[in-house]
Amino acid sequence: MPNREPPTAGAGRFRRTLVLVMAVQVVTLLLLWLLQARYGS
Amino acid sequence: MHWLNWVIIVGYLTYVVTDGVRRAKGTNKIEGYFLANRSLPWWAVGLSVMATQLSAVTMIGTTGQGATDGLRFIQFYFGLPLAMVIVGVTLMPLLRGAKVFTAYEFLERRFDAKTRSLTSFLFLASRGMSVGAILAAPAVVFSAIFGWNLALSVTIIGIPAIIYTMIGGVQAVTWADVKQMVLIVGALAAVVVVLLLKLPVSPDDALRIAGATGRLEVFDFTFDVNETYTFWSGVIGGTFLMLSYFGTDQSQVQRHLTARSTDEARSSLLMSAYWKIPLQALVLLVGVLVFVYYLFQAPPLLFNPAHERAVQDARGSAYGELQLRHDAAFAAREAAARTAADARTRGNDAAQAVAMQQFVAREGEVETIRDEALTMAESVTGESPRDVNYIIPRFVLHELPLGFAGIFIAAVMAAAMSSIAAELNSLSTATVIDFYRRWVRPEASDAHYLIVSKGATAFWGLFACIVATFAATLGSLIEVVNRFGSFFYGSILGVFLLAMVPGARAIGAFVGLIAGMGVVAVVTFGAPSVSFLWHNVIGAVTVVVVGVVLSRVTPSQTSPRAEGAQP
Repeated sequence: MPNREPPTAGAGRFRRTLVLVMAVQVVTLLLLWLLQARYGS
Repeated sequence: MHWLNWVIIVGYLTYVVTDGVRRAKGTNKIEGYFLANRSLPWWAVGLSVMATQLSAVTMIGTTGQGATDGLRFIQFYFGLPLAMVIVGVTLMPLLRGAKVFTAYEFLERRFDAKTRSLTSFLFLASRGMSVGAILAAPAVVFSAIFGWNLALSVTIIGIPAIIYTMIGGVQAVTWADVKQMVLIVGALAAVVVVLLLKLPVSPDDALRIAGATGRLEVFDFTFDVNETYTFWSGVIGGTFLMLSYFGTDQSQVQRHLTARSTDEARSSLLMSAYWKIPLQALVLLVGVLVFVYYLFQAPPLLFNPAHERAVQDARGSAYGELQLRHDAAFAAREAAARTAADARTRGNDAAQAVAMQQFVAREGEVETIRDEALTMAESVTGESPRDVNYIIPRFVLHELPLGFAGIFIAAVMAAAMSSIAAELNSLSTATVIDFYRRWVRPEASDAHYLIVSKGATAFWGLFACIVATFAATLGSLIEVVNRFGSFFYGSILGVFLLAMVPGARAIGAFVGLIAGMGVVAVVTFGAPSVSFLWHNVIGAVTVVVVGVVLSRVTPSQTSPRAEGAQP
């Protein structure tokens, strides 16, 4: 059986990372949407 | 081009090769050669992952796409962040925990040897050809611009990458990628600054003018499986594509395997999750700004200088007439753009709206004349007249200040080399680990495998150079290979997803893989309008469904080793 590395980051840390990544994406998409809303045809 | 630009390019190429060779020290075992002894920091791995994706096609093709089509291409990447997070918690820890060299090696432990060999073979077949295409794209452009023989262009870009990859292995590839990524982003940022300084209107006006032509339309919420660049195709189809690319493609998996720990590998993935969309937006925005620049500075009628020369030689009179019409249409469009900008400065909204309408109409006239010129180029040369890839190189060579052109061309070469090097390194790894060590010489010294690995790198490098040199004549073949690649990309992801299903067995994986590719082939030929992004979803789902059903209904003959390897 392959040796899985012991998880040093727990589920809580993953949830925080997931929230952070998704938050950054939401902000990015929001900025792109604002760009489209302000300058789009 | 000015001699100073050449000095920059030659100096950069020399530096990349010598630094790569220097990195070879200490790489005397295959663990070091292929995986850097699993010792690299997350930021170096993360930059390497991003550099590998950012090929010369991105530098010249995507920027050109921004100039002609605007920002909507960015929707293609909307699935990437979620895919990175999923890979980071599922496939990546699984592969790292298995202590494998290749992703396909894991499949033998989980299923059987034939599933491993088939997936690895599919990777070699498609990547072997695609690395040729990656090399061909900038080589063809450089040939047209500098008047070089195609073989010379291929040699100038390909040979340095082959040398440092062959000698230095993954360490050389990764550390070269780090520097190349800095050069690429720096060159793009420099172009943005130069553009903003050279534009005769404010950035706000520039964006308004670009927006009037639809180039700042980012989102298309239409749900249409025939369209690649929509929000839903990007989020759903894109997520499956990125899962397959980052989670199962050896060229990416090998990068994660070089990280010091799973946490560091995960962090390297998240770097792409954070930065890919903003970086891609920057790349496309460069193209949009170049479009605006050419509203105030007369652009060539045809951006491909080779086609321009050919058309002038063959149909000088007709082309001259077209050029005169283009000049007049350009002047009218420029006047309309300036009027719109002036009206906004004066705060006259009504006048601005009228001027914008006139500008859009004049833009349509310029495009119509361009289309006529492109049709003429096609009939004269017999080649595709599409000149999107020539817009940025032409701008860089004719409009950037002294030295900047050299930096940008070096950055395009850097982008090409970073992608080629990673592909060569992974092709060599799969060849040696999945085939040579597995089937030909299972027991040999590291020194022996190291020599074979370097030979495999050289072989794939030369193979790529040959494919790239004959790219013009192999055009349709490369298209076939790319289509062939889209048959199995999602299906391979399906096999890895199946590996995480308790109770899934080898028979289900192998038959599921064949079924997945078959269904995608049927969809491709039966409904060719369906976007390739959805092929990944169809392939992956088919493999999982067929694999699970077969694993349940067929008698169990699973070996204890395979059962034991379940995650």
